[in-house]
Amino acid sequence: MLLLLSPTLIGGAANAQAVLQSDDRIAIVGSTFVERARLYGHLETNLQLAAGPDVTNLQFRNLGWSGDTVFGDARSYFGPPREGRNRLDKVISELRPTVLVLCYGTAPAISDRQAWTGEPTAKLMTDSGLDATQKSFAQGYQSLVDRAIKAAGGSIRQLVFIAPPPFESLGPPLPSQSSNNRRLAAIRDTIRQLAEKNKGHFVDLFHTLGGDDFRDEPPEKPLTHNGIHHTEAGYQIIANELAKGLGLKRSASIELDSKPVDELRDLVIEKNRLYFNRWRPSNETYLFLFRAHEQGNNAAEIPQFDPLIAEQEKKIEVARQRIFESQPNQ
Amino acid sequence: MSNLKRFKRSAPIMQLSLKSTPLATIAVLMVFCYLSNQLVAQNGLREIPDTAHDAQLKAFAPMPGASINLFAHEPAVANPVHMNWDRRGRLWVVSSRLYPQIKPGQTETDKIVILEDCDGDGVAEKQTVFADNLHIPTAVLPIDGGAYVANSVEVLFLRDTDGDDIADTREVVLSGFGTEDTHHLLHTFRMGPTGMVWMNQSIYIHSHLETPYGIRRLLGGGMWHFRKDTQRAEVFMKGLINPWGHAFDDWGQSFMTDGAGGEGINFVFPRSVFATSPGASRILHGLNPGQPKHCGLEILSGRHLPDSLQGVFAAPDFRGSRINLFRLTDSGSGYISTQIQDLVASKHRAFRPVDIKMGPDGAIYIADWYNPIIQHGEVDFRDPRRDHENGRIWRLTFDRRKLVEKPDLPSMSDEALVEALNAPEGWTRHLATAELRMRKPEAMQAALAAATPPDGADVELFELRRAWANLATNQVDSKQLQSLLASKNHKARAGALRVIYYETERFPEAFEIASKAVTDPHPHVRLWAVSVLAQLNHAKTVHAALKALEGVDAKDEFLDFAVWSICREHAQRWESAAKAGNPFDSLDQLLFAVRAVNRPIGLATIMAALKQKKLSSDAQIQTVTDLISKVGSAAELNEIFEYALLPGTPVSHQRKILSALVSAGRLRKLKPQGDRSRIQRFLDSSDPNLFATAAVLAGQWGVPESQELLEQAFLNYESDPARANAALNGLVAQAGKPAGQFFDRIMNDGNAPYSLRTLATVGRVRITPAFGAKQAIRVLKDAPSSDAAKSVYAAILANKIARNSLIKSLQDQQLPSPIALAGIQLASNSAVRSNELIAALRAAGQIKPMKAALTKTEMESMMQRIAKQGDPHRGESIYRRAELRCVACHAIGGVGGAVGPDLVSIGSSAPVDYLIDSMLQPSVKIKEGYHTTIISTFDGELIAGAVAREDANEIVIRDAEARERRISKDDIDEREIGKISLMPTGLTEKLREDEFVDLIRFLSELGKEGEFKTQNNRFIRSWQFLQPHDRIRDEIGHYGDVIFAEDDPTYEWTEVFTKVSGDLPFSESPNLVGRGRNRHGAARTFIETSKAGNVRLKIRGKLKDLSLILNSTELPLPKGGDATEVTLKLERAGRHKLTLAGLKQWGLDGVSVELLDDASVVTVAK
Repeated sequence: MLLLLSPTLIGGAANAQAVLQSDDRIAIVGSTFVERARLYGHLETNLQLAAGPDVTNLQFRNLGWSGDTVFGDARSYFGPPREGRNRLDKVISELRPTVLVLCYGTAPAISDRQAWTGEPTAKLMTDSGLDATQKSFAQGYQSLVDRAIKAAGGSIRQLVFIAPPPFESLGPPLPSQSSNNRRLAAIRDTIRQLAEKNKGHFVDLFHTLGGDDFRDEPPEKPLTHNGIHHTEAGYQIIANELAKGLGLKRSASIELDSKPVDELRDLVIEKNRLYFNRWRPSNETYLFLFRAHEQGNNAAEIPQFDPLIAEQEKKIEVARQRIFESQPNQ
Repeated sequence: MSNLKRFKRSAPIMQLSLKSTPLATIAVLMVFCYLSNQLVAQNGLREIPDTAHDAQLKAFAPMPGASINLFAHEPAVANPVHMNWDRRGRLWVVSSRLYPQIKPGQTETDKIVILEDCDGDGVAEKQTVFADNLHIPTAVLPIDGGAYVANSVEVLFLRDTDGDDIADTREVVLSGFGTEDTHHLLHTFRMGPTGMVWMNQSIYIHSHLETPYGIRRLLGGGMWHFRKDTQRAEVFMKGLINPWGHAFDDWGQSFMTDGAGGEGINFVFPRSVFATSPGASRILHGLNPGQPKHCGLEILSGRHLPDSLQGVFAAPDFRGSRINLFRLTDSGSGYISTQIQDLVASKHRAFRPVDIKMGPDGAIYIADWYNPIIQHGEVDFRDPRRDHENGRIWRLTFDRRKLVEKPDLPSMSDEALVEALNAPEGWTRHLATAELRMRKPEAMQAALAAATPPDGADVELFELRRAWANLATNQVDSKQLQSLLASKNHKARAGALRVIYYETERFPEAFEIASKAVTDPHPHVRLWAVSVLAQLNHAKTVHAALKALEGVDAKDEFLDFAVWSICREHAQRWESAAKAGNPFDSLDQLLFAVRAVNRPIGLATIMAALKQKKLSSDAQIQTVTDLISKVGSAAELNEIFEYALLPGTPVSHQRKILSALVSAGRLRKLKPQGDRSRIQRFLDSSDPNLFATAAVLAGQWGVPESQELLEQAFLNYESDPARANAALNGLVAQAGKPAGQFFDRIMNDGNAPYSLRTLATVGRVRITPAFGAKQAIRVLKDAPSSDAAKSVYAAILANKIARNSLIKSLQDQQLPSPIALAGIQLASNSAVRSNELIAALRAAGQIKPMKAALTKTEMESMMQRIAKQGDPHRGESIYRRAELRCVACHAIGGVGGAVGPDLVSIGSSAPVDYLIDSMLQPSVKIKEGYHTTIISTFDGELIAGAVAREDANEIVIRDAEARERRISKDDIDEREIGKISLMPTGLTEKLREDEFVDLIRFLSELGKEGEFKTQNNRFIRSWQFLQPHDRIRDEIGHYGDVIFAEDDPTYEWTEVFTKVSGDLPFSESPNLVGRGRNRHGAARTFIETSKAGNVRLKIRGKLKDLSLILNSTELPLPKGGDATEVTLKLERAGRHKLTLAGLKQWGLDGVSVELLDDASVVTVAK
């Protein structure tokens, strides 16, 4: 439990240099928490600013997928979770990220005596108690990391493991999240061990956002709307904790609730929208899968998003530099 | 809040200038584009219907007494997809111009529009854009102070906080919905009677939701419900292809329609599973098999509508541009649905009714997606014929009936609102529920508690509505529900159970209630009791559920399914007890439960009962043998084998046991313990079925003593081909050297009868595919005719190894052209077509390749010919030709084969160029749900067809001839979704060009308003024709037409379907030669009644030459005229034979027989 007091940095080698460096391609992989972050832009905007003016041209790629697990359940389409893992490998091999940010753990935490994956080799373990579920989660997670490193072909410089933020008991008629939080705390420990083992950076959002208090009464200012999913305001607060957890510090003079930051965030959101249509386009059945012989010709449109995304990223860089330049002491 | 507003930004990446460009300019530009580029599309453009509102109004044919007016239209509404009313009586419409796919550079500008008729004239003069920043939204539901919106991957909740009716906050409520196909996206939102949001998704969508209660996944089609108050999202049912309609009846039961399934109204209940649900080992069916496909569903009600429409189900047939109506009656735990007249039909090809809702004024509102092109699988995403501009909301009223005064729900007192919950109009009841959710729950609950039923009201229905309203305020009243459970009306009892089903955690007594209700006198209530049990975490749920089967009709599929499902879902709760003995009340219950889980549990108990002859009915034996064949051990296989050998075991039991042993051997490689040579006893059997299975078993088990018996039967081919074929299977099953040598000797013996040589070749190919196929070439060369070679080709085509060997061996060989051609034809028609084999056969037979596709110019002129010269009547007779096999695979309105899609409205949904392409190259466009699955086994065997069902151990494939084949999953080498249609190519090679033109013309007329639209009249459409028979010439003069109705075992009857018009074409019937020049025709059919009584028929045709025979009694018909009504007096329930016969030589075509009574009374038997 002592470790909880110094939750941020693990792995001596990673400490020596900044987590984010110029020209980094940062892939963020996870489930609903990650996927929905793209709509609000807070996490990314905050990190863009916290990285400071000397770090330039950061490219964030949100690869979150609602309901996903370390086995790739949600990423598969018509087949078993294995398909989802193959899909992630493929995206990673195309992106060749330098920083891989991972945030899993919600699925096992909210699944008390319920199977949380369709992966045949793990399904039975996941509904038979916390110990078994932790073990299967750890195995799946490690394999995900190994595969991603291999798929990236040596491009990954930095691994970041995020423990999800705590759930909130918002009061009846919503259910208490108390026991789910106990489970998430245990899952968090597993994630920390994985971070250590893989010499990755560990960010304990569960702890920094008060998870270890195990409160069962409604918080004054909830960060979630249903106990497990975060509001826009929630993401804004979490973004600060994430930046801190990564050892980054935004200049105190940058006001987040300001027009220039709002504009930057708008650009980020739009970039995310373009990238979403690029990597998760609608109609994949017709574009790439078993009905591609009918409409596969239209797949040619999809890479046409790339120049639009690049253009948007230039605007993002201009906007953040403008914010830095307007600071009195920078 | 200010941050939230950013979602309304216009995100200008490459702003489209559409808004400022006059529509006419865009249209001209578009025309120009494809004049230069796309000749094919240009052709289609000529068919684009007149977009004028008047053109559409003139084309409507509403039911008598009804009128239609335009409520709203473009530009406010473009391609409306879905609509719902708010409590203020305003219509919210969601529409998408981005559909089917966003283009790079396009911004997300899809809209939700609020339409308001402020002055009550039936026209929406006020239109407000509530949101214009959506991505292919597919549903809107304005309740709970905002609007739930399906926005591709998410459900959003949009709210206006400053009163300008423009959304300024945007919250993601649920996320994780798939987008694999944009016409499958989450859709069909509807608020249920208890205030939940109900949502559907289609076949290709895979959804993964995190909820505060755990992960919920729905892979494939199905329906969700979501309660905002508890944030609970759950899957209700699974399956259906495009479940684009859902409605609740008066008693809160759910019914769905399917935009691609074609089974009309579907009764759905918790955990029910329907077609195409991935991994389903059992599915349920809709209530109207063979119906057109539907989008939307509404149950009609209210004082404005005539009595005849009260409670009628209205389902838009968007392909046929009409709205179908259905009336439901109770039947067991479910319903029977009968189609009645259409509400409205249109000749306008762009009228696409996709949603239908009753309105606040009592009128019926219809969303018209307005598009000449539907779907985006077959027709290009960017096809310029797609309409992205137009859209209409139509309003249907009845001329002589007063409209309903629009209720002002927001101004009502709590008490008045509770009264509104019992209004005669479904609209008012529904939106009153939405309104009460906006009030203070405590005040509403008090008003509900104080309410008394209005005069003349159905008190039980009133109480059920009170229970719903309570739950809508998030309260349950256990005492009130208990009294509802004691209602006289079974629907009220079932309704009470459904409320408990949603909230079992709040009913500690749920198990006691449900275990009592499983023996309710009404099966519908039992169905809901089982559904409640399935929700509970109680050790005895299965014990209780099994009691529900006692004393009900064994054919009650819905109830049977529900019990089957809980036996599986709660298997852990009873399986260990069943290992020690029978934990249930009866042997039948144990058998049912074990059969459901399909695992080797309780077999000792079952085997003991078999030995003690406690299991004696055919149904019990069938269950036991099926079970043992799937999960039994070698010892248990021996036990059933010994039971078959016992003296006195009936032949019907022996047959079942032997075929179970065959399955166990084939699928599980398992043989009975003990002395297997005892199988020889059955090789002496005169029963062909027993001999055939015994032959295979003797082979499978390698019983050497059987070799000689099998060879004898094989060589006896000419006198008993069936037995010889069975012997072939036995010898093949042996797969040993002696059998191989035996086959070699015969196939290479030039003096042996050729049929025997081919049979031996088939055997050789099946035992050693590579060697056999190579040797087969010599036999093929000797073939006396192309027909004679077919069985050899078929055997080779069914095995990958044999096929590849033939390809290789043909390299330096020649075959006579006709013989090679026969192989090419078979290979082309095979679902696992091999172009290499076709090329090899072409080379060997020196045959030139055939032309399949048309050039653009050819397509152009072909389409013109079809429009100008095509004769749909001639086309229909060509369609009906046996050799084209259209009828064998496709149905029209449910009549015909079930292998391919029903063509009932193909003409109104598919462009002509699409029809031509599909006919010439069937594999270019394949309808969803009709993709072929190809299995190749480790032995090289190829099995192609549709997946009929599957479980953990095996998969069942239905092939193009509708034969089912079980395959063990252990034997599967590869499984893939084929890119080749089950529809054979080259069918049209049998046609002259003018015939092809007529055929396409016929198809293009199907479903369009006119002669080739299947009418809703209940014509008897399935018949059998009598084939020529010797006795007719001699005996007809003596006995008259009644001889056609005799049960003469030597008569041969062949299946025939009526034409689209309902006419039975006697011109196609075989000539039955009578005396002199008399040529008779005879047809029969069977009808089934649930009770004795009168059944009325209407007969049209040339009555003078016609006779009608019921069972064996001739019924008098008028001596002249062309139509009459006949009453059949049926003295008993059950099956009755109806024979029609007549003299053909003076023309007897166009005889139709129509049932004038309700479907629940009489059905046409198969």
